[in-house]
Amino acid sequence: MTPPSARARAPQPPLLRISPEVALGAIGVGALAVIALWWKDTIFISGWGDWLTNAGRITGLLAGYAVIVLLALMARVPALERGVGTDRLVRWHAAGGRYTVCLAVAHTLLIIWGYAVTAHSGLVHETGSLLTTYPDVMMGTVAVGLLVLVGIVSARAARRRLSYETWHFVHLYTYLAIALAFSHQFSTGADFINRAQARWLWSLMYIAVAALLVWYRLLAPLRSALRHRLHVVEVRQENADTVSVYVSGLRIDELRAEPGQFFRWRFLTRDLWWAANPYSLSAAPRPDLLRVTVKITGSHSAALRHLAPGTKVLAEGPYGSFTAARRTRRKVLLIAGGVGITPLRALFETLPGRPGDITLLYRVNRPEDLVLATELDAIAAQRRARVHYLVGPPKFDGSDHLSPRRLQRLVPGLAQHDVYVCGPEPMMNAARTSLRTSGVPRRNIHDESFTF
Amino acid sequence: MKRVLLSVTGTVVGLVALLNFKTHGHPIAAGTLPSAGLPNASSTSPAQAGTSTSAPPRAGTSSRSSTPAASAARTIAGSAVETRYGVVQVQVSVRGTKITNVQFLQLTAFDQRSAEINSAAAPILLQETLSAQSAHIDTVSGASYTSDGYAQSLQSALDQVGIK
Repeated sequence: MTPPSARARAPQPPLLRISPEVALGAIGVGALAVIALWWKDTIFISGWGDWLTNAGRITGLLAGYAVIVLLALMARVPALERGVGTDRLVRWHAAGGRYTVCLAVAHTLLIIWGYAVTAHSGLVHETGSLLTTYPDVMMGTVAVGLLVLVGIVSARAARRRLSYETWHFVHLYTYLAIALAFSHQFSTGADFINRAQARWLWSLMYIAVAALLVWYRLLAPLRSALRHRLHVVEVRQENADTVSVYVSGLRIDELRAEPGQFFRWRFLTRDLWWAANPYSLSAAPRPDLLRVTVKITGSHSAALRHLAPGTKVLAEGPYGSFTAARRTRRKVLLIAGGVGITPLRALFETLPGRPGDITLLYRVNRPEDLVLATELDAIAAQRRARVHYLVGPPKFDGSDHLSPRRLQRLVPGLAQHDVYVCGPEPMMNAARTSLRTSGVPRRNIHDESFTF
Repeated sequence: MKRVLLSVTGTVVGLVALLNFKTHGHPIAAGTLPSAGLPNASSTSPAQAGTSTSAPPRAGTSSRSSTPAASAARTIAGSAVETRYGVVQVQVSVRGTKITNVQFLQLTAFDQRSAEINSAAAPILLQETLSAQSAHIDTVSGASYTSDGYAQSLQSALDQVGIK
């Protein structure tokens, strides 16, 4: 079987992409609207107790807004996935998650404190009266406890001590927490209790995000599975620890996958069906064929070697913003580290450019780590693009292949390039530093981390 | 770590700034203070035809009299009651034991929403007073604090003329 290559397709409507700036802007505007709700309802704060209570109201409103934003980020909305990128969405979600737990805890403590000061009672007494006499506050308290639990479990230190499955399972409790915390917002929230309009908008926001989650994480993948009926057609060993899996199916062009993107793959065998792993397309998608190339790092990827042709496959996606859409300049440099070659191999094949516009640097530690080299050479010859293989262990004395001096010598006019970087984290950091030193603006460095 | 510090200080500074803005605001009073009175002279009980004071004296200038004359019209201010959401003070006019007129001397709110609630509740409270002829009136739903404060202020005024 020959490697899949790009083929002219019928023109399709442009894909919607929400850029990171627009996404962050929208989140910010939403937060301002939430603060405006408080602002409109509050004309005068009298005394220290009122001051604390109002601080508790603001943090509570923001926490209620933030949890729903966190869910929206993880809803796998295609326009966000394509525009912002999965790796960045995950980073935002993690950072925002920690912040939201802090907001929820601050809200709880400030309300107790503020009410206690206003009522001239003790903190313990006030906590008791809040729990027993205010509607739904008990459920809200359980919710904040759950959020703290999930926060602790997700903290990096704890995560290393727990398996991914445990972490993931505990994470599901956030849905319970959000559901539990919902009713006290309306039954005791000063900004909602007498404002039907605010209640409607707030509910609508929650309903909309729930709909996005159900659609994009549940129904759309199911629909796609039925529509495309993907299955393995061939498994090819690329080298000692890398395999390519060829997947065929119906109407694959309707998936609108772009070179540089990935799918979450679920191979339906007895041992593998439960895990959905993100693997990048290692060739431009064809209307009848997709290919991924996977480095064998564990028992899951090792089992891919033995996939029988005909094995059914569920593929969620396409995801990721590591595509031609990020390009803003004529000249493009692609820097791959190890198995990070896979999305770059697809981009190397398809990025439009005249001879000499596209350069690929492929960094590996040992010669036997090189994969797909024959294909890369063929593409380079056909497109008259350049490919450099940079082989050898990393060096930290300034003489590494990716040091600014070596990069500038390899790639004339380096600062005028758009640069795509994909590889292990240390390699990407080294590349970024060298590129910045060599005068490549930050906005022209596009990277994708596959450790999310 | 730097980002954590930045977001925490950013949040705290933002909160303090927001709250300080509101601390320096002022309580808002209802535009025109509402009042309600029984129809003049043509009341259903002509024996006690009321003369509701059209230009009531200012707060605190109640015409106190140790021997209440049965038919003398009197106007009494209640005490100012501070509730969680604002301040309420009423003034009543009575003839004998009949409440002929009642009006607000103060009706302020600490926030916009409370002001809206107040202006919706005020005419109901006044009307209830005239029909109940006492401070034992129903709480206006959604305005329990204002209703309580109103009843307290009203009772304090009625206490001065011996109406329970």
